[in-house]
Amino acid sequence: MLSKVFATIAVVITGGLLLFGVYDFPSFGDPNSPPNAGAEGGGESVSQYFITHTYKDTKVPNLVTAVLADYRGYDTMFETVVVFAAGIAIFCIMRVVGNANDPRQKKEREGMHSFTYGDHNRIIIGTTCRVIVPIIQLFGLYVIAHGHYSPGGGFQGGVLLGASFILLALSSDLNSALKRFSEYNYFKLAAVGILIYAGFGLTSQFLGENFLDYGVLQPLLFTDGPEMARSHSMLGVEIGVAFTVMAIMFSIYANLASQGTLKDGL
Amino acid sequence: MIVSVISAIFILVGIVFFAGAAIGIIRFPDFYTRTHAAGKGDTLSSLLVITGFALYQLNGFESFSEDWPILLVILKLLGVSIFILFTSPTATHALMDAGWEECSKPKIKEGRPNHLGDDSDQF
Repeated sequence: MLSKVFATIAVVITGGLLLFGVYDFPSFGDPNSPPNAGAEGGGESVSQYFITHTYKDTKVPNLVTAVLADYRGYDTMFETVVVFAAGIAIFCIMRVVGNANDPRQKKEREGMHSFTYGDHNRIIIGTTCRVIVPIIQLFGLYVIAHGHYSPGGGFQGGVLLGASFILLALSSDLNSALKRFSEYNYFKLAAVGILIYAGFGLTSQFLGENFLDYGVLQPLLFTDGPEMARSHSMLGVEIGVAFTVMAIMFSIYANLASQGTLKDGL
Repeated sequence: MIVSVISAIFILVGIVFFAGAAIGIIRFPDFYTRTHAAGKGDTLSSLLVITGFALYQLNGFESFSEDWPILLVILKLLGVSIFILFTSPTATHALMDAGWEECSKPKIKEGRPNHLGDDSDQF
């Protein structure tokens, strides 16, 4: 009871501070706000800078992807880390590993935990999902690889790939999905995704530039100029993001659906 | 011109079916008939509207060598409609199945034959 009171107080204070901060923002579409009119003293505005320079700097037609993965690459890297941390947190809270006295494990052993009693007519759902899952995965890969040219990118494509595995688990059961994408594999993949992202940053640091300054990777990527190196590095970074997001999506689902036992489940 | 008219007809008919689905969800008496209205109406109307969009794209098509990107758009739209054709009825089926497992009771008028068979004793 007391914890609820404290939680309410914390939520109210945080929310109040956030709302208080909102008042300092410029209003929507204000032509005199710094992003639209530039800094005081008449410098070029940020939006104008991105619109005129992005294609010259990176050869990427989609401004949003360029800003996300290159100009603000540091921010996006830690967004990926946040996703990873969320997955690890849910793993730490939910996962039950081999404790015979745990009531959830006991319940599972006694066979009272089965949600799959209604699988007498899963033929329609199972067949459709078997047909649909490869198409979803192909589309997810397209969204990742085409992030430079059309809306999309690592986060969206990763969510699509993760959703395809969740669909597999929903249509048959969790075990058959875990056979294809085991716990060991998905956490390995999640870590590898962040390693790919940070690896691009560290490599450019070793070559004598700033962290995540992809232009210097040109000799490693065999491109014509630093612009194309930026473009290709963005693709690499997006692939890393997609790995992490896909793996963490599925891990969160698997832990929540089976109450941390990774057996039976929904 | 003709293509525009045909696509407009497709889209308008689709909107009529959408309205029917929406009214059905609100007005039908029980879970199964409501899901029926949503599933049937949504599937057909989405198909009609998207096919209308695809037809509308044909408007600017003059020569294959210059206007082939239009064909790509049409291909993508048709892909979406085929995807909906498969997934929407399956989703409705899954929803109905879940309702049946949860013993949602269908409304049957007094004295009408009950075709639920042996399964009906679960209620």
